[in-house]
Amino acid sequence: MDLRVIYDTGHPAYWNMGFDESLLVHLNEIGPTLRVYGWSPPAVSIGYFQSMTEEVNIQRAKELGVDLVRRITGGGAVYHKYELTYSITLPELRGRILDSYHLLDMGIIKALQTLNIDAKQAGINDVVVNGKKISGNAQTRKYGGLLQHGTLLIEVHPEEMFEILLVPEEKMKDKAISDVRQRVTSLKDIGVEIEFEELQKILVDGFKEALNADLYEEDVDEKIYDYAHKLEVEKYATHEWNFRR
Amino acid sequence: MPPMNGISEGKYRYKAGKLIVVNATFDCDTILKIKITGDFFLHPEERIEEIEEHLTRKKIGEIEALLERDFKDAEYEGISAESLAHAIREAWKRRA
Repeated sequence: MDLRVIYDTGHPAYWNMGFDESLLVHLNEIGPTLRVYGWSPPAVSIGYFQSMTEEVNIQRAKELGVDLVRRITGGGAVYHKYELTYSITLPELRGRILDSYHLLDMGIIKALQTLNIDAKQAGINDVVVNGKKISGNAQTRKYGGLLQHGTLLIEVHPEEMFEILLVPEEKMKDKAISDVRQRVTSLKDIGVEIEFEELQKILVDGFKEALNADLYEEDVDEKIYDYAHKLEVEKYATHEWNFRR
Repeated sequence: MPPMNGISEGKYRYKAGKLIVVNATFDCDTILKIKITGDFFLHPEERIEEIEEHLTRKKIGEIEALLERDFKDAEYEGISAESLAHAIREAWKRRA
């Protein structure tokens, strides 16, 4: 399989989600694409089924200049600041969606192996190291294809995260912070200090190996960007989308 | 103590791995309005809006059969017809 690779930089949340969806919408024209990117400014993305007002301290996010966006995929809220994000679009795979996480999560597992880190898949969509989550992933199937996006944690800062993410009761905040410390890890926590660009390359090579793909670097046509911009403005930046649940 | 009649609000957070939150308005044992949120997975995603629509104006006694049908051809994790029915019933019991 040929796999287009886009090494991207940090972008605002609305653009990131618009671009990922545009790559999925145009999958038949442009073929499978792997994009590795960051978020600038930092952002919180919430799962499709989540409520922004129940998950996020909106006032605090505004004060800290953190973007807020709803994804088209399920799962939980993610604080995007100290991590590398990927998105991959592929023609629909056969079989159950929940089973196909395993194949794509192998891209992350292979990348971590390159860094001499022994990682495993856990649950349906997480990758863990020493039993602690280092990567969360979410997938959807639409427009005749699939989109999976996920993160690989470079650092974890639970106190900073829970300045923005809400817990059901304020008194549970300390527990939430200690739970994250116990359940979540990062490359830094396991002694790996790595530049963003180097990690991008390692993750791309992980997917190459996992999918047995032939990689090529080629930018997409202007119309893919135009449609991404349309989605950015008309969907992902709107109150209607982000606060719909 | 739930009101014996009239309009009431009910909310229930059901955590079984993933979280399901039900926010609903009831008129006695009829669902007037319902919102289902959480960090679960459901494919296709838009099915959740269909489920909410199907549940609207239905009686509590009807929800199990209805959800059974709605989940039949879906894929899901962290939510199911049974767990969602449980969360709705608990929201109804806790209405005020």
